[in-house]
Amino acid sequence: MPDLERRFTIRANDFVNAGEVSLEIQSILKHIGFNPALIRRISVCAYESEMNVVMHGGDGEALLKVSPNSVTLVFTDQGKGIKDIELAFKPGYSTANLKHREMGFGAGMGLPNIKESADSIEIHSEEGHGTTLNIGFELEGDFG
Amino acid sequence: MAELTHTLSRGSSVQIDETLCNGCVLCMKACPTKAIRVRDGLARIQGVCVDCLECVRVCPRGAVKGVTPPYSDLKNGEHYVVSPSSVLYSQFGAGFLPNDILLGLRAMGYGYVHDQSYTSEIYNFALELYIREERKKPEPKFPLISAICPVVERLIAYRFPSLLEHIVPLATPREIVTREAKRRFSDKNKCRPEDVSLLHITPCPAMSSQLMEHSLHDASNKDRAIGISAIHERIRQKAQEQAMEQDRVLHYSGGVGVGWGKSGGEIAALNAQSLAVSGLHESIRYLKKVEMGLLEDLEFLELRVCTEGCIGGPFTVADRYQAKHLIERLVRMFGEERRVKYNYVLKLYNEGWFRSQWKRVPLESGSPRLSISENIERQNKIEDLIRKLPGIECGACGSPDCRTFAEDVVDGIARLEDCVCRQDRGRREVAREC
Repeated sequence: MPDLERRFTIRANDFVNAGEVSLEIQSILKHIGFNPALIRRISVCAYESEMNVVMHGGDGEALLKVSPNSVTLVFTDQGKGIKDIELAFKPGYSTANLKHREMGFGAGMGLPNIKESADSIEIHSEEGHGTTLNIGFELEGDFG
Repeated sequence: MAELTHTLSRGSSVQIDETLCNGCVLCMKACPTKAIRVRDGLARIQGVCVDCLECVRVCPRGAVKGVTPPYSDLKNGEHYVVSPSSVLYSQFGAGFLPNDILLGLRAMGYGYVHDQSYTSEIYNFALELYIREERKKPEPKFPLISAICPVVERLIAYRFPSLLEHIVPLATPREIVTREAKRRFSDKNKCRPEDVSLLHITPCPAMSSQLMEHSLHDASNKDRAIGISAIHERIRQKAQEQAMEQDRVLHYSGGVGVGWGKSGGEIAALNAQSLAVSGLHESIRYLKKVEMGLLEDLEFLELRVCTEGCIGGPFTVADRYQAKHLIERLVRMFGEERRVKYNYVLKLYNEGWFRSQWKRVPLESGSPRLSISENIERQNKIEDLIRKLPGIECGACGSPDCRTFAEDVVDGIARLEDCVCRQDRGRREVAREC
């Protein structure tokens, strides 16, 4: 059983509130008192994942699980799924549309950035059946 | 050289006049660090104040004040060096040029008047050199964040400690002025720098607190800071008398130094990918963005918590938009470039003139530090409590919002019974049962 668990709803194409879930996650982690560098890594992953759900995932949710020695983020969505996962992790590869690009998104760095910042990453996706992204962070000692 | 810890000032220039405060929630709700509570019908500061003075701006009764020492507390004298912020040039209307104002200050009896705007121009070049150095590092800390606004510095240290290493680590113009003005004066007058006292004239309460808490480097306990508003009238009188005698030049800077105090002043002549943001909430919004890693394409970010920059500072006299207009005119008059020579600054830079041996550290709230497990437990308790609260953020309990109230209850500094909405709900339920 994790010691702290929070669930957040993410809405498809809601660019007005996009980023709010990541900010909330960041604020919870700050209150718990993890070290700033770790919080920063988690925030980057949370933000990139949240934007992925907003842009490609349809409606979805984020789950934050915190225990004294690990932090886990799970993003689940009911979107169109990822056709070629290996390709999706290639820096610069993007399926973002023109509208996303006009807003400054879709550089194809989302998943590569997450992979770089996380300690472990697990992804399950089926075309037409959505995606589940499980991102793990390990903590050393009591202060992260 | 040993690294010294940069103890940020914990001082606050905010004072609450209990005879005027009626215990409303406005200042408490405006505070970006949630440092204010209303207890027994009075606002009190009990957390970390970053000296932004947002509480002063929102108080409709004038009960919350930013305090600057009065002019009568200052001693004039030959060993007193005065250094005004360039914001002063925008406070007297179009009839006064920077040199008139500096001549006025000299005529007030100060031994030496140091034109801070000139130092700002020198610093601006050094900043550019530092950015160039950063570009060559394998992992540059971009965007670098300006160290000019002391409130931004304190906000980062308290709310965004992971960004401390993004703050430009050079000695700031106010620190350089503190060191150089004294050195120059003592060289010229054959006395020891320690015997020289420096008077800063500033629009900024946080800068003033920094000095009074002795956390401004190279400052001594003889140095003073005074708000522009406290000395403005006297300077005007003297400057008017001096306006006819244009024989001495005390003002050396170009438009960059003159425009330093307005938002965008630091980036006006900077050869770097840069952006200027002003206003408390906008600055916080940008700090959050940087923390999320969103602005890595940017090399330099100028943040000032006062809207329109330091010309909107709490100790100013002129309206910030009129001041901005005047500054823009002066910038056109003095040219949009720096008057300092590049090679001169490069030499100073390589000699270590701008090096600061201070390391910035996080600002702690002072409450006992809990372990991660204890904090997780605390967060769960807070979350359980929040579910019992109305979530209308009224502040009537004396805490700024429902979440902070829940924290206060868990920490034992408020009682759940203080929630007015819960009391009311209880009453209504009792009434229905009767």
